[in-house]
Amino acid sequence: MLCFAVVLAGMLGGWWLRLQTPSTTPVSFSAPFVFGRFIIPQDNPLTVESIALGRRLFYDPKLSGNNQVSCATCHKQHLAFTDGLPHSIGVSGNPLPFNSMSLANLLWGPQLLFWNGRASSLEEQALQPIEHVDEMAQDLSLLLEELASDAVYHKMFAEAYGNVSLDAIAKALANFQRTLVSANSKYDQYLRGELNLSELEEQGRRLFMAHPDTKVSLRGGNCIDCHSQFLTGGFNTAFDGFNNNGLDDDATLAAGLAEVTGLDAHKGMFKTPTLRNIAVTAPYMHDGRFNTLEEVLAHYNGGIKRSSTLSPLILEADNVAQHQEDKISLNLTKQEERAIIAFLHTLTDKEFLTDERFSNPFTAKKDAP
Amino acid sequence: MNSRTMVILVVVLTGLMLLIYSQTRPTDNQQLTLRFHPKLGELPLVFDQYRYANPGGDGLFKIRDLQLFVSNLTLVGQDNRFVLPDSYHLLRFDLNEGWFDIDITYPADINVAAIELGIGVDPQANGTIKIAGDLDPNGRMAWSWDVGYKFLLLEGAIKIGEEFSPLVYHVGFDENYQVVQIPLDKKALQSSPAKINFSLDFMALFDQKTPFDMAQTSSVKFDRADAAFLAAGFSELLSLCDGSCD
Repeated sequence: MLCFAVVLAGMLGGWWLRLQTPSTTPVSFSAPFVFGRFIIPQDNPLTVESIALGRRLFYDPKLSGNNQVSCATCHKQHLAFTDGLPHSIGVSGNPLPFNSMSLANLLWGPQLLFWNGRASSLEEQALQPIEHVDEMAQDLSLLLEELASDAVYHKMFAEAYGNVSLDAIAKALANFQRTLVSANSKYDQYLRGELNLSELEEQGRRLFMAHPDTKVSLRGGNCIDCHSQFLTGGFNTAFDGFNNNGLDDDATLAAGLAEVTGLDAHKGMFKTPTLRNIAVTAPYMHDGRFNTLEEVLAHYNGGIKRSSTLSPLILEADNVAQHQEDKISLNLTKQEERAIIAFLHTLTDKEFLTDERFSNPFTAKKDAP
Repeated sequence: MNSRTMVILVVVLTGLMLLIYSQTRPTDNQQLTLRFHPKLGELPLVFDQYRYANPGGDGLFKIRDLQLFVSNLTLVGQDNRFVLPDSYHLLRFDLNEGWFDIDITYPADINVAAIELGIGVDPQANGTIKIAGDLDPNGRMAWSWDVGYKFLLLEGAIKIGEEFSPLVYHVGFDENYQVVQIPLDKKALQSSPAKINFSLDFMALFDQKTPFDMAQTSSVKFDRADAAFLAAGFSELLSLCDGSCD
């Protein structure tokens, strides 16, 4: 009898839960094999409804306190979801401490978000800029009221998550960002065997992929020691996707990852960004200090500053037989610098930069998917 | 619903539940944890401290990053073997308690007498971009798809007087892969859950018959002779821990 009661209660419970949960449409999702594994949170499956909601929220200035700033203000699609500024500017008008990061291929690479890794998931990250006084300066309870009173949002939230909530806002924004996959650059087409790189691009690719070793006459640009070979972003294990790349000496070294971990060994380490679409995401580095890729290469080729947490891989990679004590440099030739930059240009994915699915739904064509 | 129907329903449901239980009950598997403790000679591994003597010359060195691939973990019985599927494990010691655990579930009919594993990544996997276990072509241990994986990554610095030099030791040619077998004391497997402690002495790579001078050779990457020298120490890297590990 007890057994029967338990089974019956279970059936009723399941039926009640189904009534409470909206019926959603799963998204079948694929990505290039070489990108490797990715994880979709079990409590936030990719659905047509959640992605559509996330896209609308992403582009909606209603999310800010003054109704003028949206996520897309600092993450513009044609700039691979960066903003072209050294320091982003939000509601307060005060320049933010950091440069806007590209949002391409967030399913892979370091799963700690922000330059200093202070959020451990896209869901955790999503509300922070909305609340931040300089970024979007939104009171979250007011935002909930505003969205709940909007008929379109009311319907979209109901379809995606059941009701309007902060949890649903974060989940929807996270899911839209998970769909921002850049996988059709010239480099991708090369990896798929569809075309050959030019001689200069191929030289750049080889330099990118090589840690130099003069003992076997191997010259290298040393990029791969921080940027993975296919994704070109940071590594996803532990803190391996964070590095000190020699921007500052000990006197001026910013906290970086140490702000989160409290470890001196992490001082000056910042998240290694993806280099996908890097040609359109200037200015560069966490503080936007370099305006061009040429300036970036010049940094690695003689501009590196010594500090206590500087990677030994940077110190050691000098492409010369006799280690130079006085100067930290890759010692690349001008021609080699040009080759690496030519390879970096092969990472531009025009399809990604113009894909209607990622565009502003308030201005997109009606028949867009 | 009358009482007869109720009785039938209860009998059917009970039978169904028994059937489900019989299909899903745990099989007679054994659990085993292999715990790897890193050390350098007699000293435990402590990151970022100049505390280890250069075996072949002057100076003290420190380790900033240390990772090691082991693969194809096999429990060797008297008459049979159990090969752990997708067995590619990236051992690292900078997380949690400073050791690395591999948890194994294996069939009870394996009367384990020894453990066998490869130091590094076997040539078949090293030559592909397959994703299995901890192998990740976008990971830190991947050199590039036409080169393969680093088996060992040891990075740090050496200090001689007031002079500092970076140390970069990356070893990972196919010929560096070595399979080692360690006999096990069966008593260690009788506890439940069973745990076996191993010591990984990374000084064995450098303190060989001819000690390695880290000041003289501060990096090993693509030179096969240098890589072979360090890899010769792979066979001495792993041993059963004598009890001092716990």
